[in-house]
Amino acid sequence: MNISKKIVVLGHFGVGKTSLIRRFVENSFSNDYRVSIGVHILKKKVEVSVDETVSLIIWDLEGTDNIAAIRQSYLLGTHGVIYVFDVTRPITFQAIEEDLTALKSKVRNVPMKVVGNKLDMVVEEEVKKVLLENKISFDYLTSAKTGDKVNDLFEQLAKMLTLDAKQI
Amino acid sequence: MLNKFKEEFKKHKLQFISTDLNGIVLETDQTLLPIEKNVDIGTIHPFFFNLSEVLNIEQEKAVFHCIQLGETVEELTVDIEIYRKEDHFLIVIENLTEHYLNYQSLAQSRNETSIDSELVLLKNLELQERERFKNEFIQNFSHELRNPLTNIIALTNILQRSRLTEEQEGILDVLKNATSDLKLMLEDILSIAMIAKGKLALNPSVFNFEQFLEFLRLTYTARAKEKGLDFSISTDSAIPNYLEGDRLRLLQVLTNLCDNAIKYTEKGNVKLQVKLNQKRANTVSLRFSVQDTGLGISTENLDRIFESFEQLGRTEGAGLGLAIVKGLLQLMGSTIAIESTVEEGSHFYFDLKLNFPLHVPEIPNIDNARLKTVRKEKYSVLLVEDNEQVQTSLFKSLIESGEFFIDVVSDGALVMQEIIDSGYDIILMDVNLPNIKGDQLTKVIRSFPFKNIKNIPIVGITANSFEEQLRAYKKAGMNAVLTKPFDELELIKTMRRLLK
Repeated sequence: MNISKKIVVLGHFGVGKTSLIRRFVENSFSNDYRVSIGVHILKKKVEVSVDETVSLIIWDLEGTDNIAAIRQSYLLGTHGVIYVFDVTRPITFQAIEEDLTALKSKVRNVPMKVVGNKLDMVVEEEVKKVLLENKISFDYLTSAKTGDKVNDLFEQLAKMLTLDAKQI
Repeated sequence: MLNKFKEEFKKHKLQFISTDLNGIVLETDQTLLPIEKNVDIGTIHPFFFNLSEVLNIEQEKAVFHCIQLGETVEELTVDIEIYRKEDHFLIVIENLTEHYLNYQSLAQSRNETSIDSELVLLKNLELQERERFKNEFIQNFSHELRNPLTNIIALTNILQRSRLTEEQEGILDVLKNATSDLKLMLEDILSIAMIAKGKLALNPSVFNFEQFLEFLRLTYTARAKEKGLDFSISTDSAIPNYLEGDRLRLLQVLTNLCDNAIKYTEKGNVKLQVKLNQKRANTVSLRFSVQDTGLGISTENLDRIFESFEQLGRTEGAGLGLAIVKGLLQLMGSTIAIESTVEEGSHFYFDLKLNFPLHVPEIPNIDNARLKTVRKEKYSVLLVEDNEQVQTSLFKSLIESGEFFIDVVSDGALVMQEIIDSGYDIILMDVNLPNIKGDQLTKVIRSFPFKNIKNIPIVGITANSFEEQLRAYKKAGMNAVLTKPFDELELIKTMRRLLK
């Protein structure tokens, strides 16, 4: 069985959303920072079990520090969300609670994953401590550069989407 | 005519597609995307995946701005409008690649600038945090060290007064030198902590500049000679003899620079130069420079040398000297500058504005921070007073009486050490001292564990004449309190009474 699911990847600019997607879809990485504007859409098939695949239609949204201002049209028909922050830049996760609340009011009842990216640039234990001190909960700490936990993130979300589909 | 142009213009930018409600193409032109009839539009580009779900049943229209249909923005970036009709979708794609390409370059520079500022801010925060931690640590650390060090010095002095063999005297000398070095280091640490916490205030007064330089010349000529170096001071004859500024802190700056110059120079010379930049009504701007022919500092290390605890070499000390210099000069409104070449030497310099008095004040021909006599057959008096005029008059009165020899300390922070180091028969204590007040000092002396120190008679000197205040000073442990202006005879009588 193959199903298709739309997921949107969003967060502040420069947090590495495009890099995460490229690592997942093309298994590539570039150190150059090139701003994404509007939306770029990529697709990748994920095998979630022996006889089940999910085609993830991944919408890579332009980074913004105002999640509430994201165009509603980009979120139409969304099945899952990945919110990305940069573990090296506190400004990208300081208002995470407000961002997630705004997001949940725009995209209701869909699985959401919170991801701290650029783990390769810090000491994992120290980052976890800082995030804990700031009461920031997250699902994954990833590195688009090394690929650490990137596939886990997308595959886990894909599994959740198939479960959702079965429940429907 | 215009309509024709308009049509022609739009023709190359717009593509119209109609699909059924399952996304199968019914009709299209080929302006932007090569789409054939009867194909599932979802297979052309993932954007069109599951149109019916994107545009739910209640929605008649959706507009999507800035959709990148190519691999890059340059390839094809469009706005897309989707209309839900009764039995089909109408999709209108407008090619706005050029427009969005411009937007992208703007966004690129905006985001990069923003990220750069964030990183600078973070870096600054990190540096501030490091500084805060460091200062807190050194303050606590130095506080903990003061008491045991004071005891070591006191006990060393007691030992020195006892009968010792020649070998024991030698050991005691080494011990005294070591404690003296430790004491200096501790003073540096405290200075840096006070500067960093903004607790160090300047205490300007009029001082004899010629004598000030002479003191430095004597000190450093001898020190340089020990290492086989030449030390010289050159000055400008137009500089007034008397200047007004914080003499002690200026001394601290120059001694740190000269100490370093001698420490890092193995052969050649060290020069201290003072030049007059400018002279106005009652201010002068002076350029102080200390130049050596020492090791020099590499360009990459120049930024680090003024940070506390930074040592570029392998020498003794806590690495605080230049940080103190930087901090003190900032406090005085000046900035230290350096030019240096590795293996050739360094040149530290700064400009300083100082006032000068229009009339030459009467100041005794002494080094006014600390004055020592060598006569031993009289009572020894420690005069703790920061006001130079009061210092002068009391000094004269007491010397002329022929009964005393006198040491003068003008900074309250140095008093305890002076008492421990030298031992006195009596102390004349000004109440209103910089850094620490005379009554507080008295309490410290009275709580000292050694009888020879805690029982020294103390005469308070104050401009405060309120009875309540005078009682408080006595309660703090002062044996007598004299209110300024006081009679010379009254002072000597009081001292004699207490010395009996």
